[in-house]
Amino acid sequence: MPNIISCLFAWTGLDRAAAGVLGAGQTLAKQAGGKHCLLLLGAASESLLAELSHLADSIHRADHPLLSEYHSEITLTALTQACRALQPAAVLLGNDTYSQELAPRLAHRLKGSAGGDALSLQLKDGAIAVTRPVYGGKAQAIIALRRAPAVIWIRARAQQPAQPQESAAEILPVALALEPDERIKMISLRTESKTGELRLEDARFIVSGGRGLGGPEPFKQLQELARAMGAQMAASRAACDAGWVPSTWQVGQTGKKVAPELYLAIALSGASQHLMGIADAKIIAAINTDKDAPIFSHCRFGLVEDYRKVVGLLQQKLSQASA
Amino acid sequence: MNQAEATRTVYWNITHIWVMYALLAPTILIAGYGVFRRVKLWRRGQPEQRFDQPWVRLKMVFHHALLQRATRRERYAGIFHTLLFWGMIILTAATTVVFIDEDLSIRIMRGQFYLWFQSLTVDLFGLGAMIGVGLAAYRRLFLKPKQLVYTTEATLLLVLFFIILATGFLLEGWRIAATHDAWGKWSPVGYAVAMISRPMMSEAAMRGAHQAGWWFHLALVFGLLAWAPYTKMAHAFTAVLNLYMMPIGPRGAVLKPLDFEKSDTALGVNSLDAFTWKDLLDFDACTECGRCTSACPANAVGKPLSPRDIILDLQRLSHSRTDFTEPIISATPALSIDSLWACTTCAACMEACPVGISQMPKIVDMRRYLTMEKAELPETMQGAVASMEARGHPFAGSQFSRLDWTRGLTVPQRAEVQDCEVLLWVGCGGALIERNQKVMRALSQLLEKAGVKFAILGREEKCTGDVARRLGHEFLFQSLAKENIATLDRYQVKTVVTACPHCFNTFKNEYPQLGGHFEVFHHTEFLERLVAEGKLSPRAQSDAKVTFHDPCYLGRHNNVYDAPRKLTEISVKSPTLEMAATREKSFCCGGGGGLSFVDELPSQRVNRARAQQAVDTGADVVAVGCPFCMTMMEDGVKACQTGQTTQPAKVMDVAELLWESVRDLQTVDKNS
Amino acid sequence: MNILVCLKQILDPEIPARDFKIDGERLEAQRGSAGLVMNIFCANALETALQCRERHGGKITAISFGDTAEEVLRKALALRVDQAVLITRSSPHRAEPMEVARVLAASARKLGSFDLILTGREAGDWGDGQTGGLLAEELGWPCVSFAEHVAQSASKPNALEIRRQTDNGIEVLEAISPLVVTVTNHEHNVPRIAKTRDVMMAFRQPLTRWTLAELGLEVTAAGNQGAEIIGLTIPNKEAHCEFIAGETLEERVTVFAQRILTVLRSA
Repeated sequence: MPNIISCLFAWTGLDRAAAGVLGAGQTLAKQAGGKHCLLLLGAASESLLAELSHLADSIHRADHPLLSEYHSEITLTALTQACRALQPAAVLLGNDTYSQELAPRLAHRLKGSAGGDALSLQLKDGAIAVTRPVYGGKAQAIIALRRAPAVIWIRARAQQPAQPQESAAEILPVALALEPDERIKMISLRTESKTGELRLEDARFIVSGGRGLGGPEPFKQLQELARAMGAQMAASRAACDAGWVPSTWQVGQTGKKVAPELYLAIALSGASQHLMGIADAKIIAAINTDKDAPIFSHCRFGLVEDYRKVVGLLQQKLSQASA
Repeated sequence: MNQAEATRTVYWNITHIWVMYALLAPTILIAGYGVFRRVKLWRRGQPEQRFDQPWVRLKMVFHHALLQRATRRERYAGIFHTLLFWGMIILTAATTVVFIDEDLSIRIMRGQFYLWFQSLTVDLFGLGAMIGVGLAAYRRLFLKPKQLVYTTEATLLLVLFFIILATGFLLEGWRIAATHDAWGKWSPVGYAVAMISRPMMSEAAMRGAHQAGWWFHLALVFGLLAWAPYTKMAHAFTAVLNLYMMPIGPRGAVLKPLDFEKSDTALGVNSLDAFTWKDLLDFDACTECGRCTSACPANAVGKPLSPRDIILDLQRLSHSRTDFTEPIISATPALSIDSLWACTTCAACMEACPVGISQMPKIVDMRRYLTMEKAELPETMQGAVASMEARGHPFAGSQFSRLDWTRGLTVPQRAEVQDCEVLLWVGCGGALIERNQKVMRALSQLLEKAGVKFAILGREEKCTGDVARRLGHEFLFQSLAKENIATLDRYQVKTVVTACPHCFNTFKNEYPQLGGHFEVFHHTEFLERLVAEGKLSPRAQSDAKVTFHDPCYLGRHNNVYDAPRKLTEISVKSPTLEMAATREKSFCCGGGGGLSFVDELPSQRVNRARAQQAVDTGADVVAVGCPFCMTMMEDGVKACQTGQTTQPAKVMDVAELLWESVRDLQTVDKNS
Repeated sequence: MNILVCLKQILDPEIPARDFKIDGERLEAQRGSAGLVMNIFCANALETALQCRERHGGKITAISFGDTAEEVLRKALALRVDQAVLITRSSPHRAEPMEVARVLAASARKLGSFDLILTGREAGDWGDGQTGGLLAEELGWPCVSFAEHVAQSASKPNALEIRRQTDNGIEVLEAISPLVVTVTNHEHNVPRIAKTRDVMMAFRQPLTRWTLAELGLEVTAAGNQGAEIIGLTIPNKEAHCEFIAGETLEERVTVFAQRILTVLRSA
């Protein structure tokens, strides 16, 4: 019976992303007729274990003092050791940046093959195949991962969350032999988000600005609008590359992948690389002077107008309505 | 008295004439040295061929120096300068006549000639000169327009001129009075002086004053002659020389290619010795009139660009520096990098200059240095360059392909037809900017209706490279140009029609420099010809009031002003409204020179200023003939109309106007 | 610092979406009207290398694996890298990241000792984002990904200070060389333009050319690939967009606001 491993970092807890990874693991295990093993890295609280207990067939706790915070080399070694012990057919990770950098290296160490940014998984002729966007989102490829284990990082928030199963998972410890690695050391971490603010990937409403805004000042206006909407700010790559806004605001092929209820794109043309980041948005709306801008082909509703004429007025009307 | 004997005694009342001749020597030496020094300076520049086509050149001198045609473009200054100029010429002629008569003993200063020329004409022109000085002084000392350069030297020169002319008349008047000159009335001004002086001065007093005054006058004149070559009065000879050496042909041909095959070719200019001798002469020919800066659209909206100051600063540097290899970019505020990148290459400066200075090419020369030697250009322009290199067009991020505009139309592609009469060159603006695609659709439907056998290159078209060249990237320009020329030659193209004046100019005036020889028409020229041949006739005429905005690259660069107007005239009922700044004086839309790719400060938008001028005519439609103008004017008109309740003016290409009036109303309008 | 920069040549990703077509047989994008360009993240990596050399001295070697990749190496030479190496492949099917990593590792070992190897975080065509990490594994080196800035550490001489982008924010790490760093785009690593003289000279510079055989390797047969492309399609996602209409701007914005409020309230 093949083992399908879903990886979860204890420090993130059971957030929407983790629920998605577990959901994908569950589904794949069922399809493959295998066992769904949850690999839990780091120190997990009892409450977390309780939450997780019905979401997998077994929970493998891999804890170690050196895993209290993320360190690429140490975390990778831990994952490798844990996975080797389980001899899995597949290892699933989320699409956070740590998972993205770990997955290919893990595949190498396990002598398997890696695939990333998976929209969905399927079994094809005995191999696990991932469907993922390629060519900057202009196409979709199905890639068969022929060398086991298949190590895959997936678009976690686009997957169905894990469903509780009848029986509780068996909880097993994982033996780890880890050593400190002085080759990489974290000096500092600079976060842009205020405390209590959701990560962009989890935001329900997003206001995003593009190249058409022309500079950093207009973004301040957009921030006011976002505040009126209870939304968070994002931007296209052009705006970030120009230094108008922090790079943490970047959404797109190489930025955050967001899945909000509403994504309001302002003065943003909608190049395919950007669309890759908002493919999971429920409703996209846009304000743009160019009615042929690609963003409109993905919108539910739109306004062909100069944002300068609209944003202030729109904010007024939204504030009035909520008052 | 017999008029045939009319004359006057030269040197009457003056003794020790030899002193005058003696003073002449140092005067000539000093003046000569002044001229020599300037010529030596010019020779430090790179070589350039400006001695071809002498008859054409003499004609230019005739028009602009003798007839003062360029100077007279500005009315007030034109009047006083013509008075001064011709005054000086006649007075110099008069002195020459004295020389011929007295020193060469050829007695021409007699009789009718003496009366009509030497007396009357000279007096009137002298008076004219004095009036000229007065007008000039009033302007400089009271009106104080911004465009002038206010120096002590300039004021002193005016004062000197005035005193010289005034003393000349006084001397004449006193002579007439003291000698009871029978012919006195033939010199009306002198005669008036005589009449006024007679009751106030005794004959002895007049003789005394005359003698002293004569030497005083001489000293001033000789002083001025000696000093002139060291001042802006040098323009008396440098301007004439410069007009002779002016670039021949349309302004659009004024940028010169670089030879990249040679390893020692300088890539652009960042030192005085990298300029040619003609450039150095340009600096010296400058009269400080300031018209170039006055005419500059970037300057008008508050940008740091001042062509006058660029030229004058370079003049000053060329006089003060011994090391001509030192950098000039950023050497003065006028030569700042911001100033260089503000230029739209509209050539209003060259059009305004009365002495034929080529300001704009020097700015492009310095841009060449920045772009090619230092690889430093504004970031958004870098994006355009990168896009031209990777994709063959400057519009990074465009989601259109070169054939999208043809959807729903049958537009033959050159690769698929045997041959064609005319290659319709669409250009990057026409194909990739949504608003301009409508213009191309109108144009292709017009050509089809007229039965013209045309084709387009489609994907085989690459940017002509106009933008690259204006940004100073001569290397990229030449590589794009060579590719296009090879494609056109492969298809044996003879005739090119294009709706973009920049493409038009590049094909017509710049591709021949690189071996591409085609017959080139702007679409307005071609359409006008089709109408004249009866192949297109207007059926309906719009009631709209139209004003036409002359594209710089069609008008000032290539002298095409009438063809687009003919087309607007047959398309609408009422005559074309003209803006104050029209034809050669047209105010740039702000899109040339790579400036379409720059985000300007809201307070410094050239297009907004021009759009306001267009809107102020009361026109319903602003007609354009260029894809850059279209974008710029639409943007500008929209900005002008914020907050207004009136119906905004529409911006339309001349081809669209014509199509509206020419097409069968039954025909499905494929523009919608 | 002895730096190796890995560059990939890809089809221009900026062509209009409408022009993008797929070769159903070969399961890759059609060349069509697209030019061949340097992958943008590789260009960011090259810029990072150039800035490191400017600040700290050293040598930069540029390497690319692919039969037509000479052009990107000439671009690198125009930016004055010290050495350029082209590995040719002579095989039609795509090289999967594992093969590329193996080839780059073998080349790195053959070229000498590097302190730092820079790659782009992913390529604009297949976007696997694996090559850098796999290369680190092949060499047995640590790897830092998504770097936006790399420099020598001011406090520790043989260490590098690296700023990198993560979900939690910008991490500043201190890393001991040798290591592999994958680079992502940032306002400070926008690729510079080459000077024209250097562009002209670039074509006369020497270019080292190796075949796989010279590296002791061979092409991974299509059937032996760990990741095999078995399907490639262009998804059809055309939503119908309601363009808000209305006589006046006020009306249009009012309706637009209403639409937004509906979504905000029902979510």
